[in-house]
Amino acid sequence: FILMLSLTLGTMITITSNHWVTAWAGLEINTLAIIPLISKSHHPRAIEAATKYFLTQATASALMLFSSMTNAWSSGQWDITQLTNPPSCLLLTAAIAIKLGLTPFHFWFPEVLQGSSLTTALLLSTAMKFPPTTILLLTSHSLNPTLLSTMAIMSIALGGWMGLNQTQTRKILAFSSISHLGWMTIIITYNPKLTLLTFYLYSLMTTSIFLSMNSTNTLKLSTLMTSWTKAPMLNTTLMLTLLSLAGLPPLTGFLPKWLIIQELTKQEMTTTATIISMLSLLGLFFYLRLTYCSTITLPPNSPNKMKQWSIKKPVNTLTPTL
Amino acid sequence: FSWSSLGLAFHRTHLISSLLCLESIILSIYIALSIWPIKNQTSATLMQILILAFSACEASAGLAILIASTQTHVSDHLRNLNLLQC
Repeated sequence: FILMLSLTLGTMITITSNHWVTAWAGLEINTLAIIPLISKSHHPRAIEAATKYFLTQATASALMLFSSMTNAWSSGQWDITQLTNPPSCLLLTAAIAIKLGLTPFHFWFPEVLQGSSLTTALLLSTAMKFPPTTILLLTSHSLNPTLLSTMAIMSIALGGWMGLNQTQTRKILAFSSISHLGWMTIIITYNPKLTLLTFYLYSLMTTSIFLSMNSTNTLKLSTLMTSWTKAPMLNTTLMLTLLSLAGLPPLTGFLPKWLIIQELTKQEMTTTATIISMLSLLGLFFYLRLTYCSTITLPPNSPNKMKQWSIKKPVNTLTPTL
Repeated sequence: FSWSSLGLAFHRTHLISSLLCLESIILSIYIALSIWPIKNQTSATLMQILILAFSACEASAGLAILIASTQTHVSDHLRNLNLLQC
């Protein structure tokens, strides 16, 4: 399947690049490869999601190229790890924020996830976040820490707040990914390894959630409520995965939050640590609502239908409980 | 560059104008990158060709999306892209 191959190619190119143009080329390859994946079904919502995604990602790539160009004007080199020009650093953080979906520029993300099918939404939220985070990691020592931390705090806040009134599960997952990205970027100037750790754990958990929702085909909260008849084991693992995404202590989702808070208090930023832990309570509310809807309540009539057994992997849902 | 980025940010009715602004952004970057080595006596031609190739691919993908959106939605006015509201 050529599109998946080109996606992996683009990601590899961006990860292993030390010149700005190769990074930009890898990002463009990723964008180009995902656009037909988003708009595969000729539904108007899918096409609209594809247009929004394309416009935002293309502007972000162009901004990135422009920032690298101004940096090359002032310092004469195209190396990624050496960013000396402050306005170009600012433009670069803005470009990466647009690409990742951090808070001043997150408006495209829920609608794009809503308009794409569940597997492409999975790809969008985990695999497409990976190259911009690698670029952030490579350039993290020369970016503006206050700007990054304010964007991160705002994204955790907005991810929690705007997820409260949602009934479509893809939008809920979009807001959860926005808040997780906020957690990732808040630690990036102090300890980039924690950012990588949160990214890996977050991608594991969201792949399991997406795959389990894909096998029961739940797009709305009401569909979640009646999905326990189809595969009861899947529902319980879905509940555990959701709670682990929320960050409850015995599950693995707590680990990155704990380490990040520890790192922040080491750097004497205790107010930000308390603020972000308070704001993650907002996310906890709708995770709890999702688990409540999926496993704890029973619908009025309970026929035990075993239809729609698509052969997706329930094995993947057991990994977040490690 | 800043002029065309402002135009992209404030596009009003047509999708075509935003695609045009995107193209003009990349074109301005390309022209600036071609003028710069002449002043500094270096040569960066491989980079230029690569940038041109990828921006052409992006432009064609944008045009394909435009055609698909006019097929499914009635016109390409930006007010029609509200199917995915919260």
